[in-house]
Amino acid sequence: MKVVEINDVYKTYHDTEVEVRAVSGVTLGFEKGDFAVIVGPSGSGKTTLLNLIGGLDQPTAGEILVAGHRLSELKPSELIDFRMEHVGFVFQSYNLIPVLTAAENVGFIMSLQKWPKEKRIARTGELLDAVGLSDRHNSRPSQLSGGQQQRVAVARALAPRPEFILADEPTANLDSKSAETLLDIMEKLNREEEMTFIFSTHDVRVMKRARRVITLEDGKVVSDVRTNHTS
Amino acid sequence: MKDRQLAWRNLWRNRKRTLITAASVFFAVFFALVMRSFQLGTYDKMYSDVIQSYSGYLQLQNPAYLDEPTLDNGFTADPDLVSRIEQDPNVEAVVPRMESFALAAAGNRTQGVMVIGMDPGNDNKALNIRNRMVRFKLTPMAVEALKSENLPGRLSKNLDLFTGEAFTDTDDLVTILGISERDSSAILPLVRKHASFPGEYLMGGETGFAVIGNGLSDYLGTVPGDTLVLMGQGWHGTSAAGLYVIRGVVNMPNPELDNRFVCLTLDDARLLYGAPGMVTSSIIGIRDASEKELAATQARLSAITGKELSVRNWKEMNALLLNQMEADNRSGAIMIGILYLVIAFGVFGTVLMMMAERRREFGMLVSIGMRKGRLAAMVGLEMLLMGVIGIIAGVIASLPIVFLGHAKPLRFTGEMARMYEDYGFDPVMPTLLPDTFYLWQVVVVLLILAVAIAFSVRKIFKLNVINALRA
Ligand SMILES: Nc1ncnc2c1ncn2[C@@H]1O[C@H](COP(=O)(O)OP(=O)(O)OP(=O)(O)O)[C@@H](O)[C@H]1O
Ligand SMILES: [Mg+2]
Repeated sequence: MKVVEINDVYKTYHDTEVEVRAVSGVTLGFEKGDFAVIVGPSGSGKTTLLNLIGGLDQPTAGEILVAGHRLSELKPSELIDFRMEHVGFVFQSYNLIPVLTAAENVGFIMSLQKWPKEKRIARTGELLDAVGLSDRHNSRPSQLSGGQQQRVAVARALAPRPEFILADEPTANLDSKSAETLLDIMEKLNREEEMTFIFSTHDVRVMKRARRVITLEDGKVVSDVRTNHTS
Repeated sequence: MKDRQLAWRNLWRNRKRTLITAASVFFAVFFALVMRSFQLGTYDKMYSDVIQSYSGYLQLQNPAYLDEPTLDNGFTADPDLVSRIEQDPNVEAVVPRMESFALAAAGNRTQGVMVIGMDPGNDNKALNIRNRMVRFKLTPMAVEALKSENLPGRLSKNLDLFTGEAFTDTDDLVTILGISERDSSAILPLVRKHASFPGEYLMGGETGFAVIGNGLSDYLGTVPGDTLVLMGQGWHGTSAAGLYVIRGVVNMPNPELDNRFVCLTLDDARLLYGAPGMVTSSIIGIRDASEKELAATQARLSAITGKELSVRNWKEMNALLLNQMEADNRSGAIMIGILYLVIAFGVFGTVLMMMAERRREFGMLVSIGMRKGRLAAMVGLEMLLMGVIGIIAGVIASLPIVFLGHAKPLRFTGEMARMYEDYGFDPVMPTLLPDTFYLWQVVVVLLILAVAIAFSVRKIFKLNVINALRA
């Protein structure tokens, strides 16, 4: 089953006098349960592509379909609701709301979605367990290490069961041990919750763990390889 | 997690900045309120002093008298008209008065004075000069005598400070000298013994007596029982002269008035100026002096008097004082305006800094699905809370000072007092109790906050998520 369909998508920035084609004719599909990584040199358009898939930005041309929604047809406020309902985001850093505890951060989107309190608390507990932070419910982000913060961010993104999770260089700020732990957790959740992960990276360790590697160059897909390994 | 809980926590995440901003609002509100209260209270006192001791709220006058207040612009009151005016529900009494100038002499000193002839029988229905009789006076002799008694040290110092001061009753004396409740039973008899001041008010039917202002009395060096000579010009250029025994001394609130005040009976004044049956103005004593009722009464009475006589209100009669206060008020308003400008910049600085600092966080929140309207409401609430904390604290902190300043008005002594008196003001600064001016100060600060909130709301709605995340 296709979760994301990208059809001949272009994104051009006109910010300065020069025109930058950040994404240039990309056609891609993501299946449910994918554990895919987008790689490529700096400036190749990884972030731009992820932003387009997540509905943070609109393509200049082409079409993106997510869970039956044609993103170009959504108004800005509808896009915000779309993201809340269907997309989980993990950013490189500053993911968490600093004044909320780990548990409150994990529960945040669920409360935006008006989950009943008991279900929310149960799901939060389950996910903090899954990311190995069952003893840190009441810690504020400032009291957590970078790796722990990223794990909380993954738990938050996953909590309301979105269609997929987008993670733009989630390990870029982490040491290798924390990066491995984060990847272990994402793999486990990918398996156990059948969650689709799409992330970008420069990190060779991350590439090795992915089951699908998409390579971008100058905004174009130059290779899309499925490695059949299971870890 | 409710949005308002989130706002509350955000408010305290930069505790110092929030406190400093709230404190700047606090100080501005506090100073503005206290300053305003003193200012308005002082005006209020000046107005009520001049109304109660001199002009009254309404007067019946010859139309020409306002511009040229001379005897020749006086009038003869028609008893019929007076009784019709007195039938107005808001009119207590019509008190005829004759007012003119003269030269006063006693011993070898002279002074230009204002002579007021008024019936002692019903003058208190319009004014309260009768209650201003000097009963105690701290003459140098009285101070010496009091100091030779065994007084607490602080009181002796205050006696020096207030030497020459006159008091109308013991309450006044106790507050001004700062005599404690505990000491008063011991000290008051001593004050009565050494500092009592003789004198009575005028009585109807008597002739040849005068009551004079305390300042005038000091200047002329008289005490009750001394003789006062008045000389001047009477009606239609006749010469006026008379001898009067000083019966008592009154403490007029306005130093200008206090230094020139001579009061005779109406009959004596008419005799002095050779103008039998004449009045220069009749004070109309009224019951309800609220602005609205006053205007209505003036309109009703004007309809009765027609063109022949006019009914003037206290504002028309004290235009000079009003102008003076108006100018002072404007300079006060400018001060407060500057104060608010300063906090406006302070609040704005905080908002700008906060918005810049949290740009990434806002980008993240909108990315993961928080609507901009909701985010803006939360941030607006944070700022509102910060401002409201300052406003409430400022209002609360101002109250004790304002209430205390009303119960025990600030009284200047020494140089300060002289400066005030030179300007013709009573050196007393009472406060005005909380009134609509409180509301206005709060509204102004809320408006400043509203502008700051509007700014940040606009910023949030214009936030470009991609750029915010890249930052
Ligand atoms: N908002 C923007 N305005 C103008 N140009 C942009 C914008 N976002 C990206 N670009 C340009 O588009 C191109 C692709 O950028 P993008 O951030 O997608 O690359 P990337 O592959 O994520 O790079 P990196 O590995 O450094 O994160 C770059 O040339 C970049 O300068
Ligand atoms: Mg990037």
